Amino acid sequence: MTGTHPVPDGAPLHDDGMPNAPSSTDDRVAEMSRLRALLLGPERSRLDEHEARFEAQVLTPEQLAEQLPEAIAMRARQDTQLGIALAPTVERAISESVRRRPGEFADAIFPVLGPAIRKAIAETMADLVASINRAMEHSFSPRGIRWRVEAIRSGVPFAQVVLRHALVYRVEQVFLVHKETGLLLAKAAPSDLAVPDADLVSGMLTAIRDFVGDSFTEDAAAGGLRAFRVGELTVMVEPGPHAMLAAVVRGEPAPEFHERVQATIEGVHAQFASALVDFDGDDTAFAPAQPLLDDLIVTVLDTDTPAGKAVDWRPVVVTLVLLVALLGALAVRASTRWDRVIGTLEAAPGFTVVRAERGWWQSEIRGLRDPDAEPANAIIAAAGGDTSRIVQRWEPYQSLAPAFVLARAARAVSGPADIEQLVREVRASRVLFEIGSAVPGAPGSAQIDAIAARLAALHARVSALGGEVEVALTGRADGTGTDATNAMLSQQRVDVVRATLDSAVSGVRFSARALGASAPVDDPDPATRARVNRSVSFDVRLLLPPPIRTLRE
Amino acid sequence: MIQKKVCMVGVFGTGKTSLVQQFVQSKFSEKYHSSVGVKIDRKVVDVNGSAVTIVLWDLAGRDEHEDVGASYLRGAHGVIYVADGTRKETCEQIADLRRVATAAAGPVPGLIALNKCDLVGDWKLSQADEEALRANGPVFRTSAKSGQGVEQMFLAMARVLVAPTQGAR
Repeated sequence: MTGTHPVPDGAPLHDDGMPNAPSSTDDRVAEMSRLRALLLGPERSRLDEHEARFEAQVLTPEQLAEQLPEAIAMRARQDTQLGIALAPTVERAISESVRRRPGEFADAIFPVLGPAIRKAIAETMADLVASINRAMEHSFSPRGIRWRVEAIRSGVPFAQVVLRHALVYRVEQVFLVHKETGLLLAKAAPSDLAVPDADLVSGMLTAIRDFVGDSFTEDAAAGGLRAFRVGELTVMVEPGPHAMLAAVVRGEPAPEFHERVQATIEGVHAQFASALVDFDGDDTAFAPAQPLLDDLIVTVLDTDTPAGKAVDWRPVVVTLVLLVALLGALAVRASTRWDRVIGTLEAAPGFTVVRAERGWWQSEIRGLRDPDAEPANAIIAAAGGDTSRIVQRWEPYQSLAPAFVLARAARAVSGPADIEQLVREVRASRVLFEIGSAVPGAPGSAQIDAIAARLAALHARVSALGGEVEVALTGRADGTGTDATNAMLSQQRVDVVRATLDSAVSGVRFSARALGASAPVDDPDPATRARVNRSVSFDVRLLLPPPIRTLRE
Repeated sequence: MIQKKVCMVGVFGTGKTSLVQQFVQSKFSEKYHSSVGVKIDRKVVDVNGSAVTIVLWDLAGRDEHEDVGASYLRGAHGVIYVADGTRKETCEQIADLRRVATAAAGPVPGLIALNKCDLVGDWKLSQADEEALRANGPVFRTSAKSGQGVEQMFLAMARVLVAPTQGAR
């Protein structure tokens, strides 16, 4: 005690009776606080510690502003709860903002809206082009034509025929089902298919899943019934923690579709986590899930698959080219053959082609034909024409070509065939002699008489036409003996015969020549050769007046 | 649209199915009872001007061989217990059925349809028995034959379900 410390008013006095000096009061205070520190020291320090901790926990607005962005980022990295928590507020804020100041809101979202609209239009156009392409492909491919024919014949719309033949798979119904209650949260189906009892189906589907699960699996977490088939339909079930997605698919769903179903149920759980947990029968919270489900309603045709399965036109083109080439070649060949037939007919003596018409199947030729001309069919066939497919109409006419004039004249002069016959008979006659003899024997004499009779008849016929008959006699000898003997012998033989005929037939001019053995008639047999050369033979010439002139053999 | 899953349970032959037959839109046939053990129907009722769809899970009746399908009770918003007034034992089993349902679905609202009230003369129930039933929930006398009380029962269930504060939940 220093006694210098002041003592506050009312402070107890020391029992020494000393007056209260200020200095002694100060001492007391210090003493008291020392005492307090001694008695309450540990408690006091703990109190201070708590106070400091308390102050640290209460954030000033400044501190909050400092830490808020980081805190939001941290939580967002952890889970989706922050988004879920903020969503209602943000939605309300946005709708309030839109309600109050629509103009500013429109300005704000304009930069986003423009590209989005452009993208949507571009996608729509792309779809349109793709569907036009498909339609074109269907229209012009052999398969497309076949389907069109089938559609017309059966009266079924073309699209349905395509669907029936080209369908790979078509998603006909999609249900989003609350797993615990089996109640329907949302559904989707193609616009042409109605699903009237979707709520009952989703309930029954849940019941059947439970039934199958209870019957066949012990572990409920194993996933249960995932897919089953009913005729052409496959029902795919993709369960999530709180909801399951059931897709009714006609045909064979591709693996990527299964992945999309999985992604969709995951997306639904991410987006509607709290709504699924709190679901109490009101499905309005799941209306925003509709687009997710609509995305799963797809129809996949095998004509949709792009490259690789395009129609290969090459065989068709090659076949067509070959066909055209073949037809062309056939046409050219037919045309040349026709030209040749007509050309040959026009060049043939006694034919005049007036009109020639070629048809695809049957052709026609009209014209004039001299009766003396060759048969038309022979000429056509020789030129390569098919007479069975050519109709011919020939009018008879008289050609002035020399050959035909002569033929007609010959017919005119010969009249009945007897003149020619007589000439032939005389020419074929031969008067034979014995070896070394110039006197005809009995057979030779008889032959000479016969020849005389024919020549008389011939003279009568020819002179009636104003003509004359000349007969040239040729005497021969066989090769034996000397040339002089032969010459003499042949001369004697021809003279004898000429004299006999001269006396027997009048009006016929005879001439004679003796060849000896110089120009023998040939024969392979030497004996026959010798015999036929011991003879006199005959040639006949008819001299006719103009215009008939001379008829040659 | 508000939808509620309501299960109907009861002993075999209490008339559950005929009880709802003419009051619901049915898609599935009776054979589901014997095969899958449940048939699902729909009943739309009007509660205070808004439509409520009751999806009725009509569970196959309990008998000596088969208990009710507990997994079908899961997630139920309400349970209708059906008893046959002419068969006392069907009433005695309500408490046990309620125990099964509560185990599967939780303490959801339940009510009792005391069926065959058209045959009330043949009822084997005493006043006390009926009172005892009330321990399990409100009791509605119904008749599948005449339709008496059925509509009221479904409506009562719907009311309880859309106003959960009034129910047991």
